[in-house]
Amino acid sequence: MSHPRRPGNRKNVKKGFQFTLMVVGASGLGRTTFINTLCDAEVVPKRECDEPEMAHIEEGIKIKPYTVELDEDGVKISLTVVDTPGFGDMIDNEYCFQEILGYLEQQYDDILSEESRIKRNRRFRDNRVHALLYFIAPTGHSLREIDIELMKRLSPRINIIPVIGKSDSLTPGELADFKKRVMEDIAHHKIPIYNFPYDPEEDDDETVEENSELRSLLPFALIGCEEEVTVNGRKVRGRQYPWGVVEVDNPQHCDFVKLRYALLSSHFQDLKEITHDYLYENYRTEKLSRSTDSASDNDSGEEDEHSRLKEEQFKKEEGKLKEIEDRVQRELKEKQQELWTKEQQLMSLEANQVQVQ
Amino acid sequence: MASTQAGAGIGIANLPNQRHAIASKKGSALTMMIAGESGLGKTTFINTLFTTTIKAPKNHKRRFNKTTEKTVEIEIIRAELEEKQFNVKLSVIDTPGFGDYTNNRDSWMPIIDFIDDQHESYMRQDQQPKRQELSDMRVHCCLYFIRPTGHTLKPLDIEVMKRLGTRVNLIPVIAKADTMTPTDLHKFKKRILEVIAAQNIQCYTFPLESDDEASTKRNMSIMAAMPFSIIGSTDDVLTHDGRTVKGRQYSWGVAEVENEDHCDFKKLRQLLIRTHMLDLIHSTEETHYENYRRAQMETRKIGEPKVKTVTNPKWKEEEEALRKRFTEQVRLEENRFRSWEQQLIAERDRLNKDLEAEHSHIKALEAELESMQLGLSPKRK
Repeated sequence: MSHPRRPGNRKNVKKGFQFTLMVVGASGLGRTTFINTLCDAEVVPKRECDEPEMAHIEEGIKIKPYTVELDEDGVKISLTVVDTPGFGDMIDNEYCFQEILGYLEQQYDDILSEESRIKRNRRFRDNRVHALLYFIAPTGHSLREIDIELMKRLSPRINIIPVIGKSDSLTPGELADFKKRVMEDIAHHKIPIYNFPYDPEEDDDETVEENSELRSLLPFALIGCEEEVTVNGRKVRGRQYPWGVVEVDNPQHCDFVKLRYALLSSHFQDLKEITHDYLYENYRTEKLSRSTDSASDNDSGEEDEHSRLKEEQFKKEEGKLKEIEDRVQRELKEKQQELWTKEQQLMSLEANQVQVQ
Repeated sequence: MASTQAGAGIGIANLPNQRHAIASKKGSALTMMIAGESGLGKTTFINTLFTTTIKAPKNHKRRFNKTTEKTVEIEIIRAELEEKQFNVKLSVIDTPGFGDYTNNRDSWMPIIDFIDDQHESYMRQDQQPKRQELSDMRVHCCLYFIRPTGHTLKPLDIEVMKRLGTRVNLIPVIAKADTMTPTDLHKFKKRILEVIAAQNIQCYTFPLESDDEASTKRNMSIMAAMPFSIIGSTDDVLTHDGRTVKGRQYSWGVAEVENEDHCDFKKLRQLLIRTHMLDLIHSTEETHYENYRRAQMETRKIGEPKVKTVTNPKWKEEEEALRKRFTEQVRLEENRFRSWEQQLIAERDRLNKDLEAEHSHIKALEAELESMQLGLSPKRK
């Protein structure tokens, strides 16, 4: 199941394939540029920075799909790219995960309801997302909390391929170390990413080699660039720095070419199959067997309430105790007074008696 | 006013030299804060700036041992630098954990509180009877590291910078500037300056006019370069034309730290150390500290402690523990009171009994007395 299927069927070639890719990452990591570089056209318009007076306003995450027709070696691919501007840009980003998860599950829900219809629509458009490219910031250290959280939460619903955005800020040594640490983090947190699965016994050598090579490149180091510059007389897509030119299509400089080939030629069928046969089936099973209510009160909240009530009780009882104490003291004093007066009387009576006698 | 001629002077002109001698002997103390998300090259920058390993690079083996405490810490690193027999006591304040979490709300509180606390501590010490040995940890400048997104400042950056700018000399810095091409960098800087102006963020400024032309020109070029784009590196690399420089070696070239075309590191170093270190220290003492003091004195009497609000999430656990201890102690006291109450009741009952006994005794005696009296009076008759 995992070896790539070369499009040989003429009917398929003519009709073309459909593939949906989602791109997630904080702003400024080269997401938009990557999409445009991938499609070799300005699919996503460049970000228009808003008024400086409004820069402190936090906009939420938005989900924007763009569809573009590509031609890969004669094969037509209808590629839908879903961009997610606004992810990770707010001060509190807890909400972002739910938005994306909601979108993915919405697509599954649509397919589910369509499948259960009596009369199904032949032209129903399958909007399920087949792969998610998660852009990691090139910090040089290791994965951040938001990276781990997102990958953990979304991996049950979609194939995640981690990539490093703006990888031209890391020297080759730093890049190798960073990749190693990111994969260690992913293994440590047991995050199931798409790692080009292969079976050493079942698949042929070529497939094994190809997949293990791609696996060793994870996470893919990406650079995006739409402009062309001239290097040694050739026109290449690249970024011009005062100290040199970084070429996008040069496999020595970044892994863009390999990723593009894997996404659009060799592995997109695999990604689609995993999405349909495994991820969608899991979702379907979970949803259909889910029970209605899941009542789980916030235990710690209750405990807090409890201890506060107890405190109040204690305070009341303390007050009562004080009252009782005071009362007892007073009564004691009174009784003592009484005793004393009676004693006095007694003494005077005795004196009288003595006198009389 | 009589003026003295040069050459026939009485020695007033020697005053600057005396000051120089005193300053050289006393040395100086600089407290610098570096704030920003992790992974922006803060540690590398400090080590590059002072050409020595002030702070060790991050130890990645320990990252799996981290507890899930989502706090911003304040880390103080002290070093003593000496150059040509002039000493500087350097304190670098790092803020690990800032901006690293999913929810960064109020993550700037520890930083702001720290800066205010230093002003507060100095103010209290100044009000003591004995104020010779003052320990002064007031922050003289704060370098805020901005992520090189190429777009604009993030809402988190704006929130923090607003609060920092009113309390300390704030110098915004674009980190990892070798990520951006010159045109991108230029647009980014312009964008940041626009946002800073529109959001009323106060950044560090210094007087441009100076005595000689060269200084004025230099000052103007330094101001024009704000926010400073920097590249940090402590490694020596070989450029393609044979020079050995501090820089970063890529497959496509070498980005040099001290090359003014590549980044503004030299300008920033000049500002921080060579020309304006004293101005940073003075403006902290004269402007920021005075502002803080004025604000505090308008609302507080001398000697009164500051009203503190505990918002640090780390302390919530301690609060819980304290609360548990409190309820335990209350329970113990209550038991004690109960037993005391029992005792008192028992005591009262006993006393009551005694009283009863006495009462009956008295009654008996009274009856006797009466009978005796009765017996007596008939006798009298």
